Amino acid sequence: MMSGFNNHVDNSVWGRAVLMAGAILTIGIVAFAALGLGVGSVKHDEYMEAKGEYKEALKDTSLTESELYKIHHHEIDAHLSYLTYWVAGVTILAISGIYAIFLGVGGFFNSIQPQEDHGHDDHHDDHHDDHHGSASPIVFCAGVLLFLIGFPDFVEGMRALLSQGGTFAPGDMVLSTIGLTIIMIGVANWWREDLPFIGYGEQIATSAPFEGEHIRKAGLWVFIMSEVMVFATFFSSYLRIRTEWCTKWAFDEGRCGVGMTEGDIVMTASDYLRPDGHAGTGDFWTMLPGAVNTFALIISSYTIVLALKTAKSKDWEAPKGALKFLLPDKKTAVRNYLIATLALGSMFIVLKLVEWSHLVAEGFTVGTVQGSIFYVATGAHGLHVFVGLLIMLYLVFKADTIGYDEDNGQGIEYFGLYWHFVDLAWVVIFPAFYLY
Amino acid sequence: MGEHAVTGLEKWLLDKTGKDIYFWNFQVLMFFTLFEVAAVFFTEIPGTSIAITRFMVWGILIVVGIIKGYGIAAYFMHLRGDPRIYTRTALFPVLFVLLMMWGIGLSNPEAITELPSWCTPDWDYATNR
Repeated sequence: MMSGFNNHVDNSVWGRAVLMAGAILTIGIVAFAALGLGVGSVKHDEYMEAKGEYKEALKDTSLTESELYKIHHHEIDAHLSYLTYWVAGVTILAISGIYAIFLGVGGFFNSIQPQEDHGHDDHHDDHHDDHHGSASPIVFCAGVLLFLIGFPDFVEGMRALLSQGGTFAPGDMVLSTIGLTIIMIGVANWWREDLPFIGYGEQIATSAPFEGEHIRKAGLWVFIMSEVMVFATFFSSYLRIRTEWCTKWAFDEGRCGVGMTEGDIVMTASDYLRPDGHAGTGDFWTMLPGAVNTFALIISSYTIVLALKTAKSKDWEAPKGALKFLLPDKKTAVRNYLIATLALGSMFIVLKLVEWSHLVAEGFTVGTVQGSIFYVATGAHGLHVFVGLLIMLYLVFKADTIGYDEDNGQGIEYFGLYWHFVDLAWVVIFPAFYLY
Repeated sequence: MGEHAVTGLEKWLLDKTGKDIYFWNFQVLMFFTLFEVAAVFFTEIPGTSIAITRFMVWGILIVVGIIKGYGIAAYFMHLRGDPRIYTRTALFPVLFVLLMMWGIGLSNPEAITELPSWCTPDWDYATNR
C-alpha cells in the first residue's frame, strides 16, 4: 500500500506469522478436542439415552400426556445441549483453521519473496514521496469474483465431501479454489505492502468534497455508505414481508388471525427466542447467545477504541495492579487490546452458529420465508464480522512485530470505523430479528 | 476516533470523573443494551403488574436503537468532531432508506384501506368514508 517513508522489514519477520498461525491452529484443535470430542461425546451419549427413553415412552400407553411431554422436553434439552458443545467445538476448529491458513500462507508467501532494499531508494526523500498505489485490492476483488462464480458448484462439492448428499466431482471445486488462491495472494501482497508503513506518505484528497482529508478515510466512509444500503435492503425486505405476517406475538395479542389456528401463524426467529415466545422452547437460555453477542460486539468496539487510544497516546503509562501483567508496555497493550477484540469477535461467530444450530433443530429452517430472510440477513452480518476478524488477524500481527504508534495508528482507526459499523448494523438487526 | 481537541461535554466528563468520553459512551451502550434485552425478557414491569405490551416493546426498541446508534456513530466512529462531510456521507443512504420505507407502506396489501389510519392513529377516515 504505502511505498513512502517505510520501515525496513526483513522477510524473516513473516516467519512469525507462520508461528502465530501454528499457535492459533493449536488453540483450535485443543478447543475442538475439549468441547467437541470431550464434552460433546458425553452430551451425545446423554442425548442418545434421552432419545431412547422418549422412543420407549411413546410405546408406553400408561404414561399421561404431561409425563410424555416431560420426557420429550428432556430429549430436546439433551439434543440442544449436545449441539451447543459439538457446534462450538467444530466452529472454533473451523475458524482457527481459516485464521491459520490466512496467516500461515500469507506469512509463508511473504517470507519467500525477494528481499527489498528500502534503505537505498534514491527516488524518494524521507517524508514526502509519492504514493504509488497498490494493485492488491484489484487482485483481491478478481479472486472474490471467481470464488463467487464458482460458489454454487463449490457448495455442491462440499456437500458431497461432507456426505450430505450428491456425488463429488473435482471439477466443482476448481473455479472457487482458483478464486480463493487469488484472494490469498492479493491479501498476502496487501499485508506485505502495508507492514513497513510507519505513517508518512498518507494520500491526501486534493479536491472537494473531501479536500484535505485522508483518502483512505474518505474511501472507507464511502464504502460504509454502500454497506448501509446493503443492510437497508435486507431490513426493508424483512419489514415488507413482515407486514403480511400474522406472527405469534401479534396473534397472542389478538391483533390478527381471526379464525386462524396456531398452526397457521408465522413463527419468526424471535418467537423461538423470546422467553414468552414459542410454546415450550423460548426461555432465558435461548435468548442468551444473541444477548451475549450484543454485549460482545459493544465491548469489542470499546477494546478497539482502547487499542487506538493507546497507540495514539504520547505519554502512555502502564496501569497498576493486575492489568499491569496484561498491559506491561505500549506495544504489548495495543496488541493485547486487538487480541481481545479478535477473541470477542470470534466468540460472536461461535455463539451465532450455536444459536443457528438450535433454531434449525427446533424447526426454524432456511426453507421458509421467515427463515430465509433471518439467515440471509444475520448471515450477511456474520460474514462481515468474519471478514473483519481476518483483517484484525493482520492488525494483531503488525502490532506484534512492527507495532502501532501515534504516527501509524490510523491503520487501527480506519479498521475501527468498519468494526463500529458492524456493531451499528447489529444495533438494528438484533432488536428487529431477535427481539421483535 | 481521530485526533481532536477535547472540548464541551468530553472535557467536562474528563475533568469531573477522570474518564474520557469513550469510557462513558461504552457504559451508556452497555446500560441500554441491558434495558433492551430486559424489555423483551420481562412480561411485566418488575415490581408492578403493568404488562409490557408488544407496542411498548416496539417503542423501547426503537428509542434504545436510536440512542445506541447515536452513541456508536457520534463517539466511537467520531462523527462528532470530524469534518461535517463524513456525517453527510454517513447520512446519505438515509434518503434511500426513507424511500424504501415509503415503498413498504405503499406496497402493503392493506395500504389502500389502512394506510391513512396507519399513518394517523385513531383517525378513522379509512373505515368510515
